[in-house]
Amino acid sequence: MTWLAWRQLRAQLLVTGVAVAVLAVYLVVLGTQIRGGHHDAVASCGDACGSALREFQSRFQGQLYLLDALLLVTPTLLGMFWGAPLVARELETGTHRLVWNQSVSRRRWLVVRLAVVTAAAAALTGLFSLLLTWAASPYDAVAADRFTALLFGARNLVPVAYTCCGVVLGALAGLVLRRTVPAMAVTALLFAAIQVAVPIVVRPHLGTPVHSSRAMSAEAIRNLSFLGAKADVEGLSAPNVWVVSNSKLLTADGRTVDLDRYHGCLSGQFDVMAQCVAALDLHVDVAYHPGGRYWRFQWLESLLFLTAALALTGVALWRIRVA
Amino acid sequence: MVTSGTTPALATEGLTRRYGRRVALADCTLRIPPGRVVGLVGPNGAGKSTLLQLACGLLAPTSGKVSVLGARPGTRLARVGFVAQDTPVYAALSVADHLRLGARLNPAWDAAFAARRVAALGLDPRQRAGRLSGGQRAQLALTVAAAKRPELLILDEPVAALDPLAREGFLRTLVESVAELGATAVLSSHLLSDVERVCDHLVVLTGGRVRLAGDVTALLDAHHRATAPPPPGADVVHGAIVRGPLPAGTGAGPVQLEELVLAYLRGEGDPR
Repeated sequence: MTWLAWRQLRAQLLVTGVAVAVLAVYLVVLGTQIRGGHHDAVASCGDACGSALREFQSRFQGQLYLLDALLLVTPTLLGMFWGAPLVARELETGTHRLVWNQSVSRRRWLVVRLAVVTAAAAALTGLFSLLLTWAASPYDAVAADRFTALLFGARNLVPVAYTCCGVVLGALAGLVLRRTVPAMAVTALLFAAIQVAVPIVVRPHLGTPVHSSRAMSAEAIRNLSFLGAKADVEGLSAPNVWVVSNSKLLTADGRTVDLDRYHGCLSGQFDVMAQCVAALDLHVDVAYHPGGRYWRFQWLESLLFLTAALALTGVALWRIRVA
Repeated sequence: MVTSGTTPALATEGLTRRYGRRVALADCTLRIPPGRVVGLVGPNGAGKSTLLQLACGLLAPTSGKVSVLGARPGTRLARVGFVAQDTPVYAALSVADHLRLGARLNPAWDAAFAARRVAALGLDPRQRAGRLSGGQRAQLALTVAAAKRPELLILDEPVAALDPLAREGFLRTLVESVAELGATAVLSSHLLSDVERVCDHLVVLTGGRVRLAGDVTALLDAHHRATAPPPPGADVVHGAIVRGPLPAGTGAGPVQLEELVLAYLRGEGDPR
């Protein structure tokens, strides 16, 4: 049975394998360039490394964001193109009536095919993630943002777990819908929804956040991404930590800043405004996960997705018996 | 003793299958003895495919019972061979790949038999199955199903899509294979002419019901064609075809299989 599973995967594996090989070469080249760029930036800057490192970051940011995005959609793509047709294609072409009448039970057939396809998909994703993590590591060390919602899913272990879950989800969708194209669509929609929902709804609760307060100095205000009319702020960050949530701008006694005084600052040049707001002596309460939790979160989320993959496999095995 | 000669190859009891509201097979009770070549005949939509898919476990019954070689369908995978309608094969796999598939997936695979059949058919082992003609594809599907050495070989409309020459070739190889395997074979067709040359047992199905079932010779013995209008009290199937002996003195001759089946299809006589 393993032979048949490999034989049926061969063509897809060849095509995807070539694509991943090209990508791997690109990542090795990029990783070397990033290392070179980092070395140059640090070697020449002496005491004032800030601007040199910012230049280094902006030089590679675009390429790395594209690669992050590609790695984030890889589990969905594999779920669509490897998972969804796994059963649906057989049902569409009628070959299930050939293969399910050999001396191998349907369940064993499904288990072996799922195992082979998932293992191959996980290996390819793992290689991609490994190379991207390696290539981006000097950049990540400078940016110190690998724990943030977007990047967390594009480094180290979790992409492999996503892929396992995506492939099994695709196969189950194909088994239930019995048609390849609708199964691909449903897989894409469901898995995209899962990838959006998990960082927002599930991941923050994989540990209890730490609470602290952050003084809003002019420097801190300049680094924000958003400063709202109702004293709400966004874009608080700190090296290596993951900020889960934060309060509005608060005064020393813990109440929201007086909006009239606050609005008085919101005009003119940004630097002037930042100093004006800073003079109000404000702070925000912040809930965050410290950087030391990064690997615990990687393992927990991987475990979560692998458990989901096993549960979906169970559903598929139950379902194929009554199909 | 599931292998004993008395266990029916296929037995059903009140077997019913619905698709939503449509009844595809209604209260079908049947007993097919082993060692026969069985023709399952009926018009399109009569429930033939449904019955055969129930027998190999691809469908589950709505109600009633079905047993294959004395066991639940789908539990004796190694002992039942199935050639599905339109004889599906993997278009991307070669003829040799299909034989390897059979070898890897069936413990009792007879590689010599399969190789002999492929050679006799003149199939190129490197040819992709998607490039085969309809007749060659059907032959390949039959080879895969037969080389696992089943005790029961089920074929669902295997020749429907074939031209007359390919039909003849397929049926001849089928008979040879069944004889070599010592197996029971059940093949369905909407045309009696496809099966009458090869089968020695007949089941006629219309509207989801069994109209007629039995060994061909026994069926021919049990029916007559009245040469004069049949007398009152005669058990008329349809037209001149009469069930049972006629009263002495009334004219009667032997019946042909084709007119007998037609009489049951037209008369929709009492289920037997």
